[in-house]
Amino acid sequence: MRLPSPLRPAGSLLCLLSLAAAALAVGPGKHSSYAENLLLKTLPGNSVLASFRFVSNGTFDNHHSIFPRSLAQILHASRTKELHLKFTLGRWDASQWGSQIWDGRTAGGTGVELWAWVEASSDAEANARWTTLNNALSGLFCASLNFIDSTRTIRPVMSFQPDGHHSDDALARLHLLHGTLPREPVCTENLTPFLKLLPCKGKAGISSLLDGHKLFDAQWQSMSIDVTPVCEGEGEGEGETERCQLQMVQTVDMVLDVERSLRKKDSVIPKPPPIEHMACDPDKFYAGGDSCFPLDHVSDLPWSLSGMFGRPIRGSCPLARVPGVEPVHVCASVPDERPIFASAGGQERRQGDNLRCFVLEENQDFDIILPLQSPPLPLPLTAPPLHASRSFTGHGQEHGGVQAVLHNPSLDRAVDFVYLESLPWFMKPYLHTFSAALTDAPPTHPKIVQEIYYRPALDRRRGTQLEVRMRVPPNATAIVTYDFAKAVLRYTEYPPDANRGFDIAPAIISVLSRENDGSYRTTFSVRTTSLLLSLPTPDFSMPYNVIILTSTVMALAFGSIFNLLVRRLVGAHETGGLGLLGRVRERVAEVVARLGRRGKEKVL
Amino acid sequence: MASNLGLDVAFSVANASSTAAAEQVPLIAVTSTTEKRKSPPPDTPENIHTRSLVILSFWIVVISVGLPLWWITTAIYRAPLPLKEMQSWADGRACRAEFPLLIDVEAPSLPDPENLLKTVQHALDDANDFSAHHLRLRLSTNASRSSPEEEGEIVAATLRLTPGPAGSPHSYNLAPSSRVIDLFYSPSYSPSTGLSAFVAGTLREVFAEEQQMISYLLASSTPSPSPAPSCSTSNGNNGVGKVSTADITRKMSRIVRYSPTYHLTFSLFTATGLPSSWDVEHAISEYLQPLLDALGGISTFTVDSQIQFYASLSSSVVPTWAPGPEGDEGNGQWVLKKEDLSSFINSAEWPLVSITSYPTINFIIYIPSKEQSPLVISDSATNAFLLPQWGGVMVLNPNSGHSNEERTSHLSKEALKPALDLFAAQLLALLGAPTHPSSLPIRLDSLTRQRSAELLVSASSTLGSLYRLTLALPSISIPSSVSASVASTLSSLKNSCRELKNGRFGGEGGALEEGKNAAFQAERAFFEKSMVGQVYFPEEHKVAVYLPLMGPIGVPLILGAGKEIARLVRVWKAQRGGTMPGQL
Repeated sequence: MRLPSPLRPAGSLLCLLSLAAAALAVGPGKHSSYAENLLLKTLPGNSVLASFRFVSNGTFDNHHSIFPRSLAQILHASRTKELHLKFTLGRWDASQWGSQIWDGRTAGGTGVELWAWVEASSDAEANARWTTLNNALSGLFCASLNFIDSTRTIRPVMSFQPDGHHSDDALARLHLLHGTLPREPVCTENLTPFLKLLPCKGKAGISSLLDGHKLFDAQWQSMSIDVTPVCEGEGEGEGETERCQLQMVQTVDMVLDVERSLRKKDSVIPKPPPIEHMACDPDKFYAGGDSCFPLDHVSDLPWSLSGMFGRPIRGSCPLARVPGVEPVHVCASVPDERPIFASAGGQERRQGDNLRCFVLEENQDFDIILPLQSPPLPLPLTAPPLHASRSFTGHGQEHGGVQAVLHNPSLDRAVDFVYLESLPWFMKPYLHTFSAALTDAPPTHPKIVQEIYYRPALDRRRGTQLEVRMRVPPNATAIVTYDFAKAVLRYTEYPPDANRGFDIAPAIISVLSRENDGSYRTTFSVRTTSLLLSLPTPDFSMPYNVIILTSTVMALAFGSIFNLLVRRLVGAHETGGLGLLGRVRERVAEVVARLGRRGKEKVL
Repeated sequence: MASNLGLDVAFSVANASSTAAAEQVPLIAVTSTTEKRKSPPPDTPENIHTRSLVILSFWIVVISVGLPLWWITTAIYRAPLPLKEMQSWADGRACRAEFPLLIDVEAPSLPDPENLLKTVQHALDDANDFSAHHLRLRLSTNASRSSPEEEGEIVAATLRLTPGPAGSPHSYNLAPSSRVIDLFYSPSYSPSTGLSAFVAGTLREVFAEEQQMISYLLASSTPSPSPAPSCSTSNGNNGVGKVSTADITRKMSRIVRYSPTYHLTFSLFTATGLPSSWDVEHAISEYLQPLLDALGGISTFTVDSQIQFYASLSSSVVPTWAPGPEGDEGNGQWVLKKEDLSSFINSAEWPLVSITSYPTINFIIYIPSKEQSPLVISDSATNAFLLPQWGGVMVLNPNSGHSNEERTSHLSKEALKPALDLFAAQLLALLGAPTHPSSLPIRLDSLTRQRSAELLVSASSTLGSLYRLTLALPSISIPSSVSASVASTLSSLKNSCRELKNGRFGGEGGALEEGKNAAFQAERAFFEKSMVGQVYFPEEHKVAVYLPLMGPIGVPLILGAGKEIARLVRVWKAQRGGTMPGQL
């Protein structure tokens, strides 16, 4: 295991790529420009990270070319000035893969996450526009975003800062709203509209690799859309508004398992490989013959773009041009020692350590092939500033607890961050049970919680919002715990599969850095996994049972009282009648007597 | 055995009425059944009386408390609606729309204009088969021209009679941007040369299409109208420039539903990545904005535009290769057949939907790829087509003129002019402006009248639908907002009808504006959210909820009441028969 250094080697790569984006932002006065870039990075454990990044710029008026009209219309109708929409599936395994790509800023929590700065003069107006935005985006992306209602919306105070350029007057009128749908299954129907927003629509350029079957087969994948206003230069000069643009950054990041992708290509049905193709551990006592203990990571498997994605890149997108900058379409972050064979249709550019880039040509297929590498050559990993995990504690149908473990892996730097929980109203935390402590801290250690912002839930109207700013010293682990009570829902509030449980949105951890003016800015984001909360579920035929039972009781009471009042009771001796029961008995006795007589005759 | 039974302590329960029956015929009962049976002793009259009171009081409680409580808690609120009035509007009986058009006649050099006017008016009235739409001539004097506003009458057109060059026949000329019809009569004018017939013919021709459209609109709304569209075809021979009914139907079917605002989307779909920009903003403001401004009195427009690259045709659309004359491959072209046009729009992939609440009209320029150029639509001079109620499409083959590089990467304003001119014509057709007279103001006036008629008809028919809906679904609730909307619709309809009769079509408080309000309010009433939500209340659900309680309680109540009534009837019969009156 390599020790992570605070200075990240991959930083140079990110700088380079963001340079292209920055060049776009401050491009010439041209209205619209577009750039796209694919970064491939080998990860330990025969995984490959593929990160697609598309940057489209557009104007604020009604005439659109690169920037998609459908999205611009929605932003205009809902007065949304900045939008971040994330679709994520799976879990980024930070212990194996290291720090998340793009500092975790493009990925959201499991499911769908949306936050936006909406211009409004009051909270009510902001909520109305937020609803408009959700409904419109829901239609555009075929996602259930319209279910983000007031109970799933929070207004974070410390965790998010606008990324775009907003003037101070505009900022005063902006409202930040945040909503999550942890249960939303992200799938192909979300990818198709996502691709439609691109100018080349998956028909040329790197987006031609994106295919739902491969994308959603990945171990972890995330699609994100960030729309921000970007202005050229800082400060308020005259004519400043003319140089402002609406910039949309779309990213698709995924971690592909090389073995799995290649196996799928060979045969659709998963079959165990023949024993002669397996790398066995000879140290096991049962080794040899037909017994094999498979060894992991004995080699870096060979892979190619067309093998992993099912097809090569179909030439470059001709629209992806930034005047004055040579476009780099595909970059591979692979150890320098490992050879890369590129097909015709692309020219190689070496850009620093462990990074080779390719410039594609139009209308010509492009593919890269990496041969088998044995023993494996891993890239130096970067540790994230914080490792986070969260789980439920406790038992029973009534109470429960949450425990989050936050570990600062750095050996020399303390880390400041905001821990944000957005809980549904039916999960009611007790704030007095909230505790945050270091695992092995001396009692004299200062408190790690520095600031708490808490907005309690209102039943059926809004959820709990809990933001905690903390500071964890170097190489220390903090444990955050709190207890909660489970509410009992109404009969109609349960989903169709109530026994599955309710998804609780991931906690959002924003690592902060202090700016010169004393304010904090988010530099890195980590999401925990979502949780599954099981609530006591009723018997769903209950209402009818209750109706029938109470009705029966009432009817019984009524019937007996009524009968007592309106019927006349007479003694049996007074009537002399036998009644039905008596007559039946009489008849039975007669039959018995007759049978007895016959039996006697037979005996005789 | 009998002694055994005698030990039984069971009570036989006899109810009051059967007791009474037993009392009346005790001897028969005893003799007809076995001798073991013995009737119970007669009940006291006080007991019988109390029992009746008990049953009566139960029923009083059920009827006076139970039923009203049930009714109040389950009743559906239905605001009162003026059903009769709504029905009469829906049937077209409430308003007989009239479209009187005033025509000013200027004849400075004519010797006897009044006489000519009289003859022309006569000729017009005689030939008119649709009385709701009629022309009225007025001789224009300087005084009337100077103060047209005071009279409040709006002049639909001005007919200017001037002598033409000597020896020429009668002729007329209509400028494209004014309401003045210049009529040049032959200088050798005499009543016998048929000037009056020519004038009448000219006027009829100018307004023929509008008249037909309005008559079609009104006829389609009412089941038994006086001017059936078929009449016009039978009289078609005397009307100049009349269009066949099928033609009118076709024209009407492509008109977009009226809305006070439309959204226009101009889209450039290109099969490749080129051209990457177009000068649509300037082209629209130069070539189209004047028309949109002129249409402002009827509807307003919002405009946006987009470019979509790599737009593929849907798979069902396959152009065929047609080599040029004499098999010349260089002059060959790809041909789209008529059948292909209906599925030309690839709605699965082309992002054409807008989120605006008002209707969108799409205009599309499609640029085929180099491999499929030139792409032409068979039998189309403009290489364009109109999709009814949706928009227009033009296939553009950028070829001649510019150099290769220039041509492919940018579409200039000039290159877009033919397309935008075409779209302007298509827009007018989609909005329903008549095609015939060349004068735009007259056509727009026609459009105003036509739209007023359309709004009148659509608001009335919406009212009719609401009327039928409320009758068909008795379980639907009608909130008071619906009743308010209906009232507002009715008042607007009345106003609109009145304004039509007065000849005030457009402008503030005119027929069009009242019609707009009527249509808006009628739609609002019909699409009231809370009404839609409560339509579904299955009967099985009600049974499941009511039966467990109502059944067990209702049965003893009803049986008790039935027996009590039977007893009373028997007593009453016995009293009438005079037998054993002392029993009660």
